[in-house]
Amino acid sequence: MTVDRRESLRTFGAFVAGAAAPGQPTSSGGPQTGLLAPVLELVNATEFESMARLVLPPARYQTISGGHRRSFDKMTFRQRLMVYAMDLDLTTELFGYEMFAPIIVGPVANQGDLHADGELGTARGAAAAKAIMVATSESSHPIDQIVSASGEPVWSQVYAASGRAGDDAARAVAAGCKALCVTIGVSPDGAPIATNWDAVQQLTLAVNVPVVVKGIMSVGDARTALERGADGLVVSNHGGVVGGHSALPVDVLPAVADAVNGQVPILVDGSFRRGTDVLKGLALGATAVMVARPPMWGLAAYGAEGVQTVVEILQTELARNMAMSGRPTISMIDRELVRFDKW
Amino acid sequence: MGKAEHAWRRGFSRRQAIAGLGSFLAASPLLHAQRDPWPLGSHRRFMGFDEIRDVFDFEPLFRANVPLSTYDYSAHGTESEFTLYRNRDAFDWVQLVGGGGVAPAAVDTSTELFGHAMPSPIMLAPTSRQRDLHPDGELGMYRAATTTATTMIVSNASSFPYTRIAEEADGPLWYQRYATRELDPNREALDAGQEAGAQTIVVTIDQQATLYERDLHVRHLGGRPREVTRRTRPNPPNPYRVGAGRLWYEWKLFDDLKPMCQVPMLAKGILTGEGAKKCLEHGVDGIIVSNHGGRSLDYGPSTLEVLEEVVDAVGDQIPVIIDSGFRRGTDVLKALALGADAVCLGRASRWGLGAFGEPGAQKVIEMINAELRQAMASVGAATLADINRTMVKTNFP
Repeated sequence: MTVDRRESLRTFGAFVAGAAAPGQPTSSGGPQTGLLAPVLELVNATEFESMARLVLPPARYQTISGGHRRSFDKMTFRQRLMVYAMDLDLTTELFGYEMFAPIIVGPVANQGDLHADGELGTARGAAAAKAIMVATSESSHPIDQIVSASGEPVWSQVYAASGRAGDDAARAVAAGCKALCVTIGVSPDGAPIATNWDAVQQLTLAVNVPVVVKGIMSVGDARTALERGADGLVVSNHGGVVGGHSALPVDVLPAVADAVNGQVPILVDGSFRRGTDVLKGLALGATAVMVARPPMWGLAAYGAEGVQTVVEILQTELARNMAMSGRPTISMIDRELVRFDKW
Repeated sequence: MGKAEHAWRRGFSRRQAIAGLGSFLAASPLLHAQRDPWPLGSHRRFMGFDEIRDVFDFEPLFRANVPLSTYDYSAHGTESEFTLYRNRDAFDWVQLVGGGGVAPAAVDTSTELFGHAMPSPIMLAPTSRQRDLHPDGELGMYRAATTTATTMIVSNASSFPYTRIAEEADGPLWYQRYATRELDPNREALDAGQEAGAQTIVVTIDQQATLYERDLHVRHLGGRPREVTRRTRPNPPNPYRVGAGRLWYEWKLFDDLKPMCQVPMLAKGILTGEGAKKCLEHGVDGIIVSNHGGRSLDYGPSTLEVLEEVVDAVGDQIPVIIDSGFRRGTDVLKALALGADAVCLGRASRWGLGAFGEPGAQKVIEMINAELRQAMASVGAATLADINRTMVKTNFP
């Protein structure tokens, strides 16, 4: 028998085409979890975004992808060298609780779409990384289950514009939530709306836990929130989904911090992806930084372990850069650390 | 089932199998891709040694020559690599102005540092593990430095011991050291270095917490991703998983090292006037303005934009040297005009060594020196003393 070239090529080609190579998806459609890198091989938080893309339907991925980093690229550090950092310490107090690190997992609705474990996975992951989590009123799981899944404080987020905000808040506090986060400037379905400050004030009076008002993007809003009884502020543009703000939260943070002048703690969110970003937020006056998209990338791709790993990476990057910049404790982080580009 | 499988079922001879494999290989598109479509000699895929026009031309040759893991180690910067790129951006923020009236041949670049005459203010920065780049490693680099009378700073993490390198040639050597917390190992290393003729001791003080956090390097590792076992790192020195090897750094270190140095002691990694003043307080004899080639604190400034601040802080008291991103003679001239006394080449020298070994390193040094002479002629500076602040316009952000 002779084996000619054409035949050997064809049979070899058929063999290759029919081979089930390891790591390749064998069925079409559905989450391509076989393509995911092992979670501990990912080296930074931004790498989780492409992992989330592999497992989510494009439309759902769209809602938790992206970010605007231009403001962070306009800030450089002026480091202080040779500062003893063996006692590196990121703990900081917020509403009487000592946080392991000033990084909080921010509110994201309907996490059941991202991973079967939904908010329960986020709660377990955040707790494993010793981080506070904010659960939304639009959660895929009941608030009492989320609170029991976490060993760390859970906050509850409600919309000031929602008719059931009072009931949601009461249920959350009863379930053991340690603070209430009242979102202003946006309706539950994501439309921009004017703030009903009376509703905000009613909520601050209705619960016996600290109330932080989220969605502050101006000094005026910050002052009004304080007058209406806010115990804390979150400088936030709701992840940019609402629109209408050309500035990023970290841009308005210094002015808000100056106006508030230490009366209440200020939190900030908006495209924080790196330990260096968090360090800039703290230097510009924030007590803690909320991250929302990055832990959701982790949740979508890896469940609780993804959330934990993302938060731990951010904590480690923050700690490392605090040591590098000569600010080994939170109280040593000052505004002199950050220099703004002139152009 | 096809004919081939039936043939296998019926049993096959060795000859048949070899014929099948051979015919497959002969038809392989992989083999076809290797075939040269042009007559030999009518083209080159890589630049030859004589075709290289500037130092950037060495980079792709270096990349092609070394294992990917070595390239990744050498090329990348910390985290987002913001500072790595800003180092190069900074040269676009400085314009050379003025001049003419001097012939390049008439330019004299000679200078003096710590009492040692130097034909040029261009030096070799300390970079680690040069045998990874070329089998000659630091020995080849040192021979190239000696040929060009260039001062070479030998890294603490060199592939050959300092004493072995010092035997290889007779050019000027400096010795760079990462201090240990225990003082005795420092004393032993510094004694050995000085005995072998080190003209100065360079103490690197950046990278206090950032050692191996070059994301792209860690991610590739030559195409073999490694588990980044942050959580399982043994005996974490702090609950935040930060390597503690250098967290103990304090200015007092220089007070401890000073008595061990019979030669000038330099601090490498200064980026602020405040840091420079601290150096003066602690007996430091010279400063190297450096962000470790973008491998220390990310989102730190470029070295060029903070150079004047450091120079102003120390005045004429001690020399100020600079590195991080220097690839051209004009880059060097810009730093000299902003007050630097000398400039160190890190990656540029590694590209040369990695691409062609000793002759490559030598060519890098010679090219940048020639470019410097050309640039000095263009702005009308016949000597280093003629270079001044009016020869540059800056627009740093």
